Parts: sequence; C-alpha cells; structure tokens
Amino acid sequence: MRSPRLLALALGAALALSACSGGNSAQPQGGEGTATSGGSLVVDTAFSLETADPGNTYDPTGNTIAKALYETLVDFKGSDVSTPVPGLASWTQNADATQFTFTLEGGHTFSDGSPVEASDVVFTMQRVQGMKEAKPNFLLNGITVEQVDDTTVRFTSATPSLQLPAILANPALGIVNADVVKEHGGTTDGSDTAKAYLDTASAGSGPFVLDAFDVTSQVVLKRNPKYEGDEAPGYDRVVVRNTSESATQLINLQGGDSQVALDLNGDQVTQLKDGFTVASVPSASTIFLLVNQDPAVGGITANAQFAAAVRSALDYSSLLELAGAGAVQATGVIPPGFTGALPTGATQDLAASKAALAASGYDGSTIRLQYPNDYPVGGVEFTPLAERVQSQLKAAGINVELAPAPIATELDAYVAGKEGFSMWFWGPDYADSANFLPFGPGLKVGLRAGWTVEAAPQIAQLATTAGSATDPAAREGDFAAFAQALQEQGPFVPLIVPGSNIATANTVTGAAYNSVWTVDLAELKPTA
Amino acid sequence: MSLDGALTRRPRGAWLRLPRVWRSPLAVVGAAIAVAWLVVAVSAPAWVPYPPDAQQLPRLSPPGEGTLLGTDALGRDVFSRLMTGASTTIPLALGLVVASAVIGVVVGAVAGWFGGWVDEALMRLTDLVMAFPTVILAMVVAASLGPSLYNAVIAAVVVSWPQYARVTRSLVLGLRTLNYVVAGRLLGRSPVTSLVVDVAPNVVGPVVVLATLDVGAAVLLLSGLSFLGLGAQPPTAEWGSMISGALANFDAWWIGTFPGLAILTVVMAFNFLGDALRDAVDPTSRTERTAVGVASAPQSVELPVEEDRP
Amino acid sequence: MLLLLGVTLVTFTLTNLVPGDPIAAALGEGAAANPATVQAYVERYGLDDPLPVQYLTYLGNLAHGDLGRSLATGRPVASDLATAVPATIEIAVCAVVVSLLVATALGTVAAHRRNLVTDQVVRVVSLIGLSLPTFWLALVAYDLFFRRLGIAPGSGRLSPSLTPPPTITGLYTVDFMLDGDSVGFVDAAAHLALPVGVLSLFTIGLLTRFIRTSVLEVLDSEYVRAARAKGLGPGRVVVGYVLRGASLPILTVVGIAFGSLLSGTVLVESVFAWPGLGTYAYQAASNLDLPGIMGVGLVVGVIYLVLNLIVDVLYGVLDPRVRLA
Repeated sequence: MRSPRLLALALGAALALSACSGGNSAQPQGGEGTATSGGSLVVDTAFSLETADPGNTYDPTGNTIAKALYETLVDFKGSDVSTPVPGLASWTQNADATQFTFTLEGGHTFSDGSPVEASDVVFTMQRVQGMKEAKPNFLLNGITVEQVDDTTVRFTSATPSLQLPAILANPALGIVNADVVKEHGGTTDGSDTAKAYLDTASAGSGPFVLDAFDVTSQVVLKRNPKYEGDEAPGYDRVVVRNTSESATQLINLQGGDSQVALDLNGDQVTQLKDGFTVASVPSASTIFLLVNQDPAVGGITANAQFAAAVRSALDYSSLLELAGAGAVQATGVIPPGFTGALPTGATQDLAASKAALAASGYDGSTIRLQYPNDYPVGGVEFTPLAERVQSQLKAAGINVELAPAPIATELDAYVAGKEGFSMWFWGPDYADSANFLPFGPGLKVGLRAGWTVEAAPQIAQLATTAGSATDPAAREGDFAAFAQALQEQGPFVPLIVPGSNIATANTVTGAAYNSVWTVDLAELKPTA
Repeated sequence: MSLDGALTRRPRGAWLRLPRVWRSPLAVVGAAIAVAWLVVAVSAPAWVPYPPDAQQLPRLSPPGEGTLLGTDALGRDVFSRLMTGASTTIPLALGLVVASAVIGVVVGAVAGWFGGWVDEALMRLTDLVMAFPTVILAMVVAASLGPSLYNAVIAAVVVSWPQYARVTRSLVLGLRTLNYVVAGRLLGRSPVTSLVVDVAPNVVGPVVVLATLDVGAAVLLLSGLSFLGLGAQPPTAEWGSMISGALANFDAWWIGTFPGLAILTVVMAFNFLGDALRDAVDPTSRTERTAVGVASAPQSVELPVEEDRP
Repeated sequence: MLLLLGVTLVTFTLTNLVPGDPIAAALGEGAAANPATVQAYVERYGLDDPLPVQYLTYLGNLAHGDLGRSLATGRPVASDLATAVPATIEIAVCAVVVSLLVATALGTVAAHRRNLVTDQVVRVVSLIGLSLPTFWLALVAYDLFFRRLGIAPGSGRLSPSLTPPPTITGLYTVDFMLDGDSVGFVDAAAHLALPVGVLSLFTIGLLTRFIRTSVLEVLDSEYVRAARAKGLGPGRVVVGYVLRGASLPILTVVGIAFGSLLSGTVLVESVFAWPGLGTYAYQAASNLDLPGIMGVGLVVGVIYLVLNLIVDVLYGVLDPRVRLA
C-alpha cells in the first residue's frame, strides 16, 4: 500500500538525478564532431602557461601558443634545432660573431593586414628588454638592437654570440604588431601594460590568431586569414586543452575526445595500438644527479671519489627502462643531437664503484636524495626513477633516503646550491650547445653543485674556450672536450635524456617534436 | 526523547552494556575485517613474499603471472606492498584518532565546564577550523610543514579534533547541572575531581563511538593526502601513494585497484563497527549530529550554532 | 566577519611557515637567475616588507575587493576565483540535489521498514558509500564509463568542439539554458554526470543515515500518529507530515554535506581535469602561492557563512517558532 508511493518518490529522485546530470544522454560528442568535421583539432597537454603575450612567455605551453600566433626572425625546421634557418628574415654576421644584420624577407602581414616591418622588430625586442620582470628578458641581455632601414635590423653584442640566431628563434621573441601593441599600452621603457590586451587578442603574423584564452582550461586558436607565410595551418580551429594527468590524456586520445596528446610517458605510448601514431625523439632535457662539492653542504659528497662511486654504481639501462619510448641514456651533460655530444655514456662497474667508495671514506651513513616530485620531464616521473636509483645505490653500499618535495619548494634550495645530493634536469633555454656550458665550474649549474673555478681550473678553461669559439668545426671539438672532462671529474651524473612523445590519432599527420616549442601547431594536417 | 531524558535514564557507566552490540551482524563482520587487517598490519613484514621495496620482478606484469596481484612500474610485488601498506596506514590512523579525541575532549570539557569567555573563545576556534573543508585545510597544513607521512598526520589531527570538542562540550554542558553532579560538588569535590569522577564516564561512550567512526575517515584523509603527494613519501608502501602511482599506468589496472579495495574494506570495517556501536550507545545519533553541529529532532528545535555570531 | 579575518590570519601564518621561496618557483630557473627580474618581482608583490606589513597590505587591498595577484598564474586572484568558484558550485549543487533526493528516498524507506531487511540493506549501502575513497572511485569511474564503455564524455566542463556560453552565472548548464543553446546544455550536463555521480555516493551515505533517524523520530511523534489515525494515506503522511517534520535537521545536514563536498572536489577535480576551486587550491598550495591560498580560504569562509545564512532563513520559513526567537 505504501510501497507504490515510496516507489514514486524514489522514481522522482531518479528523474531529478538525470535532469541534473544529463542522465544517459552522455555521449562523447566532442570526439565525434571533431573527428568528422576535419576543421577542428584538439590538443591535450598539461598546461604550463601564464599568458599569450609572447614578450612575457617562458613556459612550454606558452611557447607552443606563441609559436602559433607569432613569427620569429629565425626558425627551425621540424625537430632539427641544431641549424637555425631564416624565418621572417635572413642574416649575415661579422667574423668575430658580435654583429648580426637581419634583412626582412618581406611579404609577411599581421592579422590586421599591415606589413611586418623593421620597426616592428625593433619595438618587439626593445619591449622585452624594457620589461625587467618579464621572464624572457634575460634572452637579450647584453644585446643592442637598432633599425638600419625599413627592412634591416642590426643586433650587436660586446662578446662573441654565435648562439644569437638560435636565441631569436625563441617564440618569446615573436614579432608583434607595434602599432596595435602600442595602442594597448605597449612601451619599451618597462611601463608596458599590453599583456592584458594580448591575453584577449593576438597581434602577430603567425598562422593562427587567438580566439579564446583561459589560462586554466583551454586556449582556442583559429586560422589567420591574413597569413602570408609558407606554413599555412591544416585546421581552421585548434583547441589546446589543459589535461594535467597524462593518464587522462591517454584516455582522451583513445576515446576520440582529443587527437593529439603531448605528455604521454613511454609506458603509455606503448599502450596505443592501431589507429595512433607516436613521434618519439629524445628531448633536449637531461635528468642528472648532482653531487655537491662543498663539504659544508654535502659532507661526504664533496669527496671526488664519491661522485665516481655513484657514477659507476648505476645500471643505466635499467634506469632507461623506466623512461620508455624515445628516451636514451645521457652520454654527458650535452644531450645527443647537440654540437659536441659524446657518443657513449658511463657504464656500470660495481668493482670500480666499491673501490672508489672505499677510497672516499664513506661510513655507510644515510644520504638524502632531494628531487622535485611534481614535475615530470618528457613524461618521466622523478619518483620511480629516484626509487630505482636508491635501490641500485643500496646494492652498491650507499644508503640513500628519498626527500621529494614540490618543485616550488625544492627549486630554491637547488638554485642556491644548498642541496648535497639531488636529482634535477636541465633543458636548454635556446637551441645551442652553449646552453650546457653552465655545468662548468664556477658557472650557473656548476655553482649549484658547489663547484668553483678553483676546484677545477682546467675544466673552467675548457668551458671558456668552447664559449668563445667562433669557428664551427673547432667549436665542436671544444664542446666535446668539455663534456668529456665533466664525465670524468664533474660533480654531475647524467642519467637520462627523456623521450618526447607526441601521440596523434591517425587522422592527423605532421607531428614533429621540437625542443623549443614542443610542437608547431601549423604543421599538423588532417590525413588526406 | 530529549537530552535530559536520555541522560537521566542512562547515568554513568551505561555504556558498559556494550556487549549488546555483538548481536548485530554488522558489528561482527566489521570487527572480523578490522581484526584481520590489524593482524596483517602487525605481522605483514614477517611473511610477505618479497620485500616491499625490492625491484627484482618484471615490470607491470599482470596478476597470476608469477605473482598473486601483479607488479608495479618498478617491478615491485603489489601484494607485498599492499600488505605492508596496512602496517603503514592503520597504526597511524588509529594514533591520529586517539590524538584528535584526546585534544578534542580536553578542549570540549574545558569549554563546557568553565563556560564564559573560555567557552566562547574555544568554540570560536572550533568554528574557525570547521569552516574549512578538511582536505583543503589539511593540504595547506601539510604543504606548509613539508610533505611527510607524520606531517600529514599532524595536519589530519588539526582538522579532526573539533568534532570531539563539540560533542564533549555539549555533553558536559548537559551534565554540569544534573543533580548527582551538583550533589558531588556539594559533597566537597573540587571542580577537577568532579569533572573526572562524575562527568567523564558519561562522555566516554559517545566519544568512543565517534572515534570508531572516525578511524575510517582518518584512513581516507591520510590516503587522500598521500594520493596528492603530501603524505607518505617514496618508497614507502602506502595505499594512497600506490593509487597515485597507478595514474601513470592506467592499463595496469591491478596497481591501483587493489589498494583502492584495501582502503574500502578497512574504512568499511570501522564504519560497520562504529555504526553498530552507535546503535547500542546512542540510537538517535545525537552524538554524531552534535559533532557536525546539527540541531536535533523538531521537538527540541535549536538555532544553528552561528546564530549569535557578530 | 571575525571568522573571515581569522581565516586570513590563519592561512597567512601557515603559508609563511613554508621553507620554500616562491620567487624561484614563480619565475622559473632562467629568469630567477636574472637579478633585475627578481628585484622587479619582489617590489611588485611587496615581498621584501616585514610579514605584519605584508598582512596589513593584504587586508587593505582586500577592503577594495583586491585579492592580490596569484604568484602561480600571474593573474588577479579575484578573476581566477571568478571562473573557478562557479565550476565547483555547479558540481557541488548538483551533487547536493542528487544526494538529497536519493538519500531522502532511501532514508524514508529504511525508516518505514525499521530493522527489516530493506533497512539493513540501505544501511549497508550507505556505509559503503561513506567508505569509498573518492579519488580512487573517480579514476575507476572515468576508466570504466569513458574509456571502456564510451557512454560518458571526456574530462573538463565541455566538449572542446563547443565554445563556452556567455558568462552570466558562470554555471555552464544555466548559462546555456539562458542562452537557449540546447546542444551546449546537454553537453555541459553530460560532463557533470561522472563527477557528480562520484561525489554523490559519499554524500548519499552521509545523508541517508541522518534522514532515517530524523524520519524515525518524527514517525514516533504524536502528530504523525494523529494524522495516521485520521486515515490519511501513507503517501500524504510521508510528504505532508513526516518529511516536513524532519526537514529542519535534514536542512542542517545538507549544509554540512555541502562543506564535505568542497573537500571531495579537491580530489575529484584533479581526476576529471575540472577547472574548479579544488584544482585551484591544490595548484596554489603546491606553488606556495600565498594570495591564491588566501583567496581560496576566504571564498570557502564566505561559502560557509552564506550557507549558514541560507539555513537560518530556511529554518524560519519551515518553523515559525524559530522566527519568534
């Protein structure tokens, strides 16, 4: 008697439930829609993004976006970042590499139809130089930019800078439409307020224009109708979506909800079967162990024999197994593909390790290994890697305790050189081997390991020589000598160069990983 | 049944009639599972087939192929880690409940017994803590102290004690004016003696119920913090971190599924047990409702606690 | 007000205990090595002032509705929260509505069948609901319903092929409705289904027990017996007398359930890539983003106060005796 009424009540609840949740009509519509229309592309990535203003951008996702919205003076083709090629301009340099003259190729237009001129280039560079708190500000330290004529710009530096063309390929230095940016608060004296405008609309000559920008969820790009370059986009609309978990990216890709996933790890790409393509190449980042040379910081780690013991205690192929597709062993501080990279890396030699450990006077005490635990590099999670390093070192007689922390808390101690034994990564700021010289004694990364010039004057000299080389052939030999010396005596144990996996559905072609901007969205095309 | 009625009919020591609880199958099932996990927690290190940190097996092998529950991304035995995980989580959860209960009871008793501005101040503090969602507050505390399992426990204590304070205060407030307590005072007992001798025994029952129910919540909170990376640190075998490790290897369903089931069964066992205890001690759930600040049945309508706030 | 002040003070103190330095984290390695950049940054956020001064500066800005700029996103915290809060409210409100309806049905049935098999089954089900680790359940549900069965949509609030509706309330479902866009509405609602479902299970467990007890108390009461004696049908008794009588305690519990949902969302949002308050709180906490954390604390405090206010008002509506008091 009372049951039917109660049943009705329950039914009412169920109905309300479906009204609130959309009930069973839930279909992956987005996936189907985008797959059939061909005009729209969804890219999943874990956002590292603050702004769509190139002059303030220095994050992986920000670079991908800026690359799509703006053109740079210098470009790279596909994955090859060792050879800068002309972008908006071609260039000549003087013999001692202190003066570079760029000549605009011409014919490029901004999204409002106006032509790209030398004055735009000068404004762009001086705007970045003026904004002291902008992250890419340091790229142009010590460089003077001047306009020669309507199509020519000259860059001058006090010291030889063979790497300048590679620096200018950074999307942060993408050329903005000076008139538009000035109109919205753009200046070159540091008082610039155009960022707010550039987060709502783009002012570039790139293949796309900004449609919608949300720093936490997604960025929508649409085709730039005024684009005059040679990399016309394959899609009318591209959605770059924030999907923080790589597992979710995998699920989305498999379910057809997205067509491109940028952050899958090696194990995940092996789960992709038919219907997907994976472009795996070694990234430009190196994961390494830091063994501090300052006894006040590291204690026992400051003993030269200790670093040697760690270096020969590790089974590198077993570490590499954790990194999966595309990853390779780090053969030195210079990753493969860059000028001066060594052909082979360190190998495991437990006898040598034991001997070195004994010589170091290590007493079996527990050493803390610090590392950031929320910042996978190229899909490689630091935690499992550290766990395996710990286990291998234990087998070699070194007791290690893991001390992970979010990168936010950890980075400061690392930068300040206050970590005795830690695991970090180094990615180039721009695509040139000069970016790996900071590992040298007395230089940026070297000092983080408490490694001073006095500790290794010869190696410091090798770094200076390589840094000031102006002849490309001699330069390669100089860099190789530097890398070799570090492998033998340095306070760093390079472990892995993670792979970079760009996984795409087979409906998309043209994905190529680039270490500067991850992927050039304009190169992605629908499969014919 | 009003508060006064309930208390006068079951004066001190009433909760000793607990054995009635075993007539409930729920209690028996809950206790059996809880005891089983406690045994595992105590003894697991002695009998698991592999050391929980040993990376000697093939990576990501499914259950049944050489191991009972498969291996994780580092080639560690999931079964061994699962069992060892019990000895990580369960003792800490119990410890944290005891700590929160002790703190909460002391705060609540002081507030209820002394009243006045002490009561006002302590209860405002309680409200302040309760205004935060537990996980968010615990997250901030754990992040501030630095991630570690013990700091996670501290964070959890920080967010857990107020419910005990509320219950104790409300019980003490009710008892303070009862005849036998007043009589005790007139016989010359000091306030502290009176609190311990006459009042405390009547507080124990409801607090034990609340604590038993809270063990489950503690396990969930600890493993949730570990899931976010703010609790157990590697290579410690802990259920929450095992699940977060499973995120990167979704096709290896066994890595995350079993720790999830382990959490579920432990929490469920204590919830069953606590629920049955509550039936025996406090059939109208007064305790729990006070803990979360709910007015009781319409016969005794009270304004919510914030009514007198400026 | 005092509560909100307390919230800011507590959060501020806690976050300043942190050993880390947000500068390096916020700028990244390359820029943190550039002294000019660091100096500009410190001045801009007043990071070199003594802590009490920083706190007073914060309060002063707060009075003008300025919550500061997030160290993590580089955007004003107020505008970050303006997008994050509605996203979470949307989930939480739906979950409360769903749980309340289901729990009322279950609790009422269980109370009517006190100590019978139905009652025991409901009890076990609600206890299991309370025992499920939400973060795990979210993963399992996502894997099952989206990836293996394909009946649920992917992560996020909307399919990427659709553009978000014009912002009126910030709740996508409501905004789509106001905009008259049925495709968008269905899509936004579909994206809500899994997170809401996962969160509801816990809340259903929480509410069912309370509702059962409240209904039991009312069933024993004189006026319900009187209503029965008058010969009213069981349905009218349940809706008109029992639920009405039990509505006050239920109402308060719902307020509390809403608070517990805010906790649950932290763990669930990360799995579903839901750009809500939980995701924002986690991001702020792990980046030591003080303004972000304070903003979250304030918003949560405000939500708590508003909830209590609503509960108070509804109390008055439902029970005239309260109004007199």
